[in-house]
Amino acid sequence: MQLTSIPVEKRFPLTLRQSISSIRELYEVGKEQRWVPHQDINWDALDFSGLDEETRRAASLTWSRRAWIEYASLTETPALLVRLCLEAGRESDPKYFLTVRNTEEAWHIECCHRYAKALGGYIDRPSEKSMESVFNQNRYRKVLDAKCHTDAFLMVHAAFEDNLELVLYRAYLLNAVEPVARRILEQFVQAKERHVEFGWLYAHERSALWTDTDRQAIAEALRDHLLQVELRGYHCPWLADPGGAEARALAITTKAGLGAISAAEEQQVFEANLEDMQARLAELGVSLDLSGIIPLTRD
Amino acid sequence: MAVELAERRTILDDEESIFPLDLETRIPKIRELYHMASAKQWDPKADIDWHMFDPSAYTEEQRFAARQYWSRRAWSEYGAISESPMLQIRFCHDKCEPDLRLFFTIRSQEESRHAEACYLMAQALGGYMEQPVQADYEGSVATHGVRKMALDPSISVEAILAALVCAAEEIAFDVFRHLVNITRDPVANQICTRIMRDEVRHCAFGWRFLDHRIPHMSPDEIKVVENAVVTMMEKVELNGYHSAWLAPDNPASRAEMEVDRLTWEAGLGSTIEELEKPLFVDTVQRIRRQMEPWGVHLPLFNHPKIGEF
Repeated sequence: MQLTSIPVEKRFPLTLRQSISSIRELYEVGKEQRWVPHQDINWDALDFSGLDEETRRAASLTWSRRAWIEYASLTETPALLVRLCLEAGRESDPKYFLTVRNTEEAWHIECCHRYAKALGGYIDRPSEKSMESVFNQNRYRKVLDAKCHTDAFLMVHAAFEDNLELVLYRAYLLNAVEPVARRILEQFVQAKERHVEFGWLYAHERSALWTDTDRQAIAEALRDHLLQVELRGYHCPWLADPGGAEARALAITTKAGLGAISAAEEQQVFEANLEDMQARLAELGVSLDLSGIIPLTRD
Repeated sequence: MAVELAERRTILDDEESIFPLDLETRIPKIRELYHMASAKQWDPKADIDWHMFDPSAYTEEQRFAARQYWSRRAWSEYGAISESPMLQIRFCHDKCEPDLRLFFTIRSQEESRHAEACYLMAQALGGYMEQPVQADYEGSVATHGVRKMALDPSISVEAILAALVCAAEEIAFDVFRHLVNITRDPVANQICTRIMRDEVRHCAFGWRFLDHRIPHMSPDEIKVVENAVVTMMEKVELNGYHSAWLAPDNPASRAEMEVDRLTWEAGLGSTIEELEKPLFVDTVQRIRRQMEPWGVHLPLFNHPKIGEF
C-alpha cells in the first residue's frame, strides 16, 4: 500500500496580516453573529405531542440525516485549515475564517442531533447499509494528501457544496411551520450564507493564479463530486432511491411542516442551483460539464 | 511545495466509517466545557479596550522589545491553528467521545482569537514581526510536534492530550495567570486575562478527559502516556518553546531574554527568568503530583538553568 505523503510546513515568515479584506470581514461578521445553541434556541418550546408516531419517526430520520451531513465538516474543515497552513503563501484570512466556520458546523450538528432526539430518537446510521459509503467520504484524507489540488477541493466543498446546502436550507426554512425548526434553520441559513460567500470570494481571489490545467482539475473534481456524491443521494435521498426510507421520511417531514421540502421541490432547487453554479464557474473560466446529470430523474 | 515522503503509516492511510455515528453526551464534564465556551465567546477587536493603549508611555526600545514579544506570542498561538486541528481529526478517526470532537472546534477558534489579539497588540506597538529577529531562534518556537503525534496511530489520544494539555498547556496557563498579576499596561493586561480565561477550559479539558479514561487503561497504555509527557517536557518545554530562558544558551536565546526583560520592565506583558523559574518548577511539581494517581510517574527533570527538579 502506498502511504500518504503530506506537504511540509515552513512556518516562517508567518503572515498574519489582513490580505483578503472581504474574507477578513466575513471572519469579523462571524464573530459578531455568534450564538449559543443551548441558550438561543427555545428547546423547552418543543411540543411534538400532536404528532403521530410515523411522523415523529420520519422527521427524526430526516434531522438525523442532516446531522450526518453536517458531521463531515468535523474532519473536513480542520483538515482544510491544516492544509492551508502547510502551503507556503496562503493568507491568514481564510485560516481565521475556517476556525469560526468549524464552530458553527459543530453547533449545526448539535442542533440536528437534539432536534432528532426530541422527536423520539436520533438515528445513528442510514436505513440501508449501502448508503453508508456515500457518507464515508474521508475528505480529510483527500485534502491532506500532498497530491490533492487544494483549490479544486475548495471549489467542490466550500463553493459548490456549501451553495447547494444554502439553497436547500433556505427552501426548508420557507416551508417550516414548527417554530423551533424555523429558528434552527434561520441560524443555519445565516451561517451558510457566510460560508458560501467565503467559498466564492476565495475562488475569485485564487482564480487569477489558475492555469488551464488548474481549471480542468477543478471541473473534473466538480463533475466527480456530482456523480459520486450528489447523484448517489448525499443531500437528496430520493436521488439514490426514490422509494427508500429516507426519501419517504422526507415526504412525511415536509407534510408536517418540520423543516423539509418535497422531492419535487428539491429537484427544482437542485437543478436551478446546478445551472447557477455552471454560470458562476464559467465566469472563472471553469467549464462544468452537466451532460447526463440534468435533467435529473426521480424514477 | 515541499512534500514529506511518508515513511510510516499514519491515520491518513486508514479507511474510516463514521457509522454508527454517536453524538450523545458521553463525558458530561467535557460537554459542559463546550457549552461554557460557546457562551463565553469574545472578540479581540470589540472586547479589548484598544483606545486605552498609549504607545507614547513607552520608550522606543521598550516598544521594539514588546513588538517582538507579542509577535512571538502570536507565533505560539498560531501553532494551535496550524497543528492542533489535526487532533480533532484524530478524535473522529478514533471515534473518541463526541464531546471531544465538538469541544475542539471552539478550542481552535479560541486559539485564532488569541493569535489575532497578540498580532493586534504587536501592531499597536509598532508592527507585528513575521519571524524571529534572530533566525537561530526559529528552532525553539517552530513547532510543538502535535500534528505529527496526532497523525501517528501508535501514539494514543490519551498520551497526546496528557502531553499537550496536562503538561504544556498547564505550564502556559500558570504563566498567563502570573502575567495577569504583573502586567501593568491595561490593554496588555486585558489580553492576558482574556486568554487566561480560555486557557482554564483548555486545561480542564485535558484533565477531565484523562480522569475519564485512565481507569479503563492498562499499565502499558499508561506508560505510553508517561513517555509522551516526559518527551513534551524534555524536548519542547525545556527547549524553550514557551520561555526563552529555557532555550539552549546561544546569542539568539540571550537576545530573546533581553526582549523579555525590556517588555517586563515596561509592564507590557512578559516576565523574566527570576520570576518565572520558581513558578515553572512549582507547576511541574504540581503536574507530577496530579498525574501520580493515574499511575503516571514523572522523573526528575534537569535543566542547566534550574538543576534537578
